[in-house]
Amino acid sequence: MTEVPEQNAAEDLGAEWDIVDLPVAEVHELFVILGKALRAHQLYDDNNPVRQRFTESLRQAFRKLWQELDHLTLHIEEDRILLETEVVYANDNRSESLAFLFFKDGVREITFLQGIETQELDKFLAVLQKARKLSPEGDDLLTVLWDEDLINFRYQYIDYLSEGVDLPEAGSGNSEMEMQQVLEGELSEEGEEDAQAQAAGAAEPAPASVRQEDFNPTLYSLDPREKEIIAGEMEKETNRDLRKDVLAALFDRLEEPHLPERQSEILGILHQLLPNFLSRGALVGAIMVLKELRVLEATQGILDAHGVKEAQEILDEASSAETIRELIQALYDGTVRATPQQLSAFLQFLRPGAIAPLLRASEMVDHRELQAVIRKSVQGIAGRYRSAVVKLLDEEDPVVAAGAARLAGQMGIVEAGPGLARLLSHDDPAVRLAAVESAAVLKASTAAGALRDTLDDPVRDIRVAAARALGTLRYQPAAATLADIVTGKEIRDADITEKVAFFEAYGLVGGEAAVSTLDRLLNGKGFLGRKEHSEVRAAAALALGKVHSNSSRAALEEAVADEDPVVRSSVSRALREEEGSDA
Amino acid sequence: MPEGPRPGTVTGESKLNLQEEGRKVLGAFYSALNALKLYPVENATVQQALDELHSLVTRVVKAEAGAELRVVGDFFFLNETRLRLDLSNFATFGSFARALQEHGIGAVEILPGIRRDEWAPFIAMLLRKPQTEDPFENFQIGFDQTPVEHMELRPEKDVQEPEHDEEALTAAKRTYAQSVKAAKDALGDVRLGKAVNVRKVKRAVQGIVDQVISNEPSIVTMTTLRDFDEYTFTHCVNVCIFSVIIGTRLGMTKQQLYELGLGALFHDIGKQRVGVEIINKTGGLTDEEWNAIKEHTTEGLLVLFKMHGFADVPYRQMLIAYEHHMKVDLTGYPPKKRDREPTLFTRIVAVADAFDAGTSVRSYQHKPWPPDSVLQEMRDNPRRGFDTLVVKALISATGVYPVGTLAILDSHELAVVSHVNPDPNLLHRPKVKVISDAMGVPLSQPITLDLSQNHPTTGQPIRSIIKTTDPQKYGIRVSDYLI
Repeated sequence: MTEVPEQNAAEDLGAEWDIVDLPVAEVHELFVILGKALRAHQLYDDNNPVRQRFTESLRQAFRKLWQELDHLTLHIEEDRILLETEVVYANDNRSESLAFLFFKDGVREITFLQGIETQELDKFLAVLQKARKLSPEGDDLLTVLWDEDLINFRYQYIDYLSEGVDLPEAGSGNSEMEMQQVLEGELSEEGEEDAQAQAAGAAEPAPASVRQEDFNPTLYSLDPREKEIIAGEMEKETNRDLRKDVLAALFDRLEEPHLPERQSEILGILHQLLPNFLSRGALVGAIMVLKELRVLEATQGILDAHGVKEAQEILDEASSAETIRELIQALYDGTVRATPQQLSAFLQFLRPGAIAPLLRASEMVDHRELQAVIRKSVQGIAGRYRSAVVKLLDEEDPVVAAGAARLAGQMGIVEAGPGLARLLSHDDPAVRLAAVESAAVLKASTAAGALRDTLDDPVRDIRVAAARALGTLRYQPAAATLADIVTGKEIRDADITEKVAFFEAYGLVGGEAAVSTLDRLLNGKGFLGRKEHSEVRAAAALALGKVHSNSSRAALEEAVADEDPVVRSSVSRALREEEGSDA
Repeated sequence: MPEGPRPGTVTGESKLNLQEEGRKVLGAFYSALNALKLYPVENATVQQALDELHSLVTRVVKAEAGAELRVVGDFFFLNETRLRLDLSNFATFGSFARALQEHGIGAVEILPGIRRDEWAPFIAMLLRKPQTEDPFENFQIGFDQTPVEHMELRPEKDVQEPEHDEEALTAAKRTYAQSVKAAKDALGDVRLGKAVNVRKVKRAVQGIVDQVISNEPSIVTMTTLRDFDEYTFTHCVNVCIFSVIIGTRLGMTKQQLYELGLGALFHDIGKQRVGVEIINKTGGLTDEEWNAIKEHTTEGLLVLFKMHGFADVPYRQMLIAYEHHMKVDLTGYPPKKRDREPTLFTRIVAVADAFDAGTSVRSYQHKPWPPDSVLQEMRDNPRRGFDTLVVKALISATGVYPVGTLAILDSHELAVVSHVNPDPNLLHRPKVKVISDAMGVPLSQPITLDLSQNHPTTGQPIRSIIKTTDPQKYGIRVSDYLI
């Protein structure tokens, strides 16, 4: 692959061919198509039809060429490529030129063999694509070509790296006569050793050389069983988690307190490794780092103050909004793959700083499984850092504040009451709603006063939730307000759900004192002898069902046979509830 | 720009990849053998296998004006190219090799014009039970009676590995010198805290892998260049070479060999963070100095983290640097707290490292051990902590008397081992260059002897090795007779 061509190779070889017979036009055309295929490779991914079309064109171009040639050998110059002496490609723009791409890394001749179009075209294009993006300190085209090990593409190059290297030469050997004396001495030592052995009772002198009959080849070469063992070892090696072994080594050495400078170096490495792991979806490695650092942070006598601070910085950074955002985005768009178990295991090691970004993620991500994992993990972290959840109620980001409010309710964080009360007057309706729902769950009496003020929230869902919450809390100071609402005009324009929510709240909060009003609304006749609208009467019936007193039952029984079926149905339901509570 | 083009590694002028074609041909032979073993010749499976074999072989014959398949010991050669075995095909190849060797066949030459109908008779003959006496002669008699006209056979005893040629030796020298320079530059840069040119190192390792695959004996010869002043750098390169050789014996792929070689080249990079005065100290080390030296494995791990130019973090190479003194039972250093098992790559480098170190003159070891003694100690002393299978793989490559061993023959001539015998049953009978006569008088021109040859009259070996000895005693540099 690397026999360097003679200086005048092109001219010498040209002498063997008639230029007229060379398929110059076809090769030129091949390079035009190659340029397009390469560009398509650069712009589009594997499945893109444009890319596939250009690759197929290139394939066809090669097939056409193989009708005339067995192989295609080309000479590379700085800005052009030649078939014998004929230019088949030229481009003096170095950043685009294929010729320069090969030339700058020493390639001087390339050969395409038949078969490249069927087996290796994509690989070849990928090599060229990769070569264009190489960094100066990384690989070059030659190392990339070696890695790819293409069978149907050969190349010859000048090795710049072997410049200035002197080849070792043999010396003259030893012609000194001292060799004779040394040899004599050595042989007489052998003789003396044999004589001593015999005198000591050895039956005969030890054999002077390894005899064929004594030679046991099984001691020196692998038998089939041993080769099987090695094959098993190679399999194990291929599946091995190298990161884990390297991390184990780093942590073993990190636990040596007598070398603080090395500890600092290792912590610096871990600091770099963690984002590397996350970017590759290597959550197992990331988990190990966080787990070990948490233990070290908490263990006395291993890390000095500076080391502890460095460890904490790593843990905090892993829990930062930027890190979490990157990770969730990468998981969501598939750049990084991890199982739910791995993600869950990773997230559980995060600190309170991760709660906010995770809450945001749990609201914004619409992938159900991912969302479930995030929510579960957030609960896990919140369980360890309850006060952090309370603090997040005051977060500026409404998505986070709402999430924190819901979380407080789910986690039963009663200390969140005052914070929830504050949120009830938040600008964002989603926040207000979350706060109302959580206050109901928590039965947070500290929020009850603010809940009353939410009864006239412009958002219907919030009003309904507030009413229900007050009913659950049985907050008596809200009775008058609720009475006004149920007898007022606006409730008559509300939908049945809202009506029921307010009326039931009134029933729960007002108790016996509410019965007369509710009875009047259910059974009374208004102006011109008309009864109330059936939805109002039904809601009143349901409210009476919450009171559980003789008078409420009596009011309900009066309407048992009401001609309005909606009313009748609600009355029955309410009476059943009464009976149920009696039981 | 260089003064003029310099030769690089040569892979011949063939427009075929003989490595690839050769493996396919062997696979096709194996398939045809198996098919004929199971079915009659008219069977479709047999016919298909013969078609495939004929197609592949005629392709080679057409491109190369002939094809010779040669088996020498454990190796197959297609024309001059040694075919690389790996773990996916060693059983296949082994089976076909046995089929030839049982009939005493060392080489099969296929001539241009080979016909499709000539394959079945040849393969059918291979499947017959060989004669115990003169198997080749008997096979040839039967073979001559078949209609096969375009195949010629040679007996095992007449078949050898291709000779080193000057071109291969020059290529090996260039690869070796380039690698030593790359190692020197890289280690020097680490010591000075500068950025390492990783690309140079990668290319050097790739060159070594290519050289081991294409012409192992010539690159092995280079390892006899034991330069005391440049020990650190030649040692890295030698360990790389021996590691890659062991890797080929274990059937590693080219990419795996590269990963192994890279780790081997960098295995002692941590020593660049240990004081030079300690590394080069001639006397015994104090406890403190010894502890400082032992840190080189951890330092190597840390240094590799700082190197840029790798596509990904070089975890495997880090583990090699870190673990290579741990021993298989983990009683070495550094001490482990968390569970681990040294990787196979580490175990290979550990063996290569110990072999090269044991056979070299160093600041603290003025008298190196003879190579055969080093190998024996590594294999037989469990306290040394080496993987015995890996040691065996090394011995199968180096022979019982590795290249560069200075030996005294039973004729009292001094000889330098120049070639390993490829036959695993004859590892103890290498080729040597006799450098002095029975009286110890240096020969003006060394004579090459094959110790596996027997005297035609007595049937006894023409020469045998009675002991190995220290070249320093004789003021000899063994490489003077080999490169």
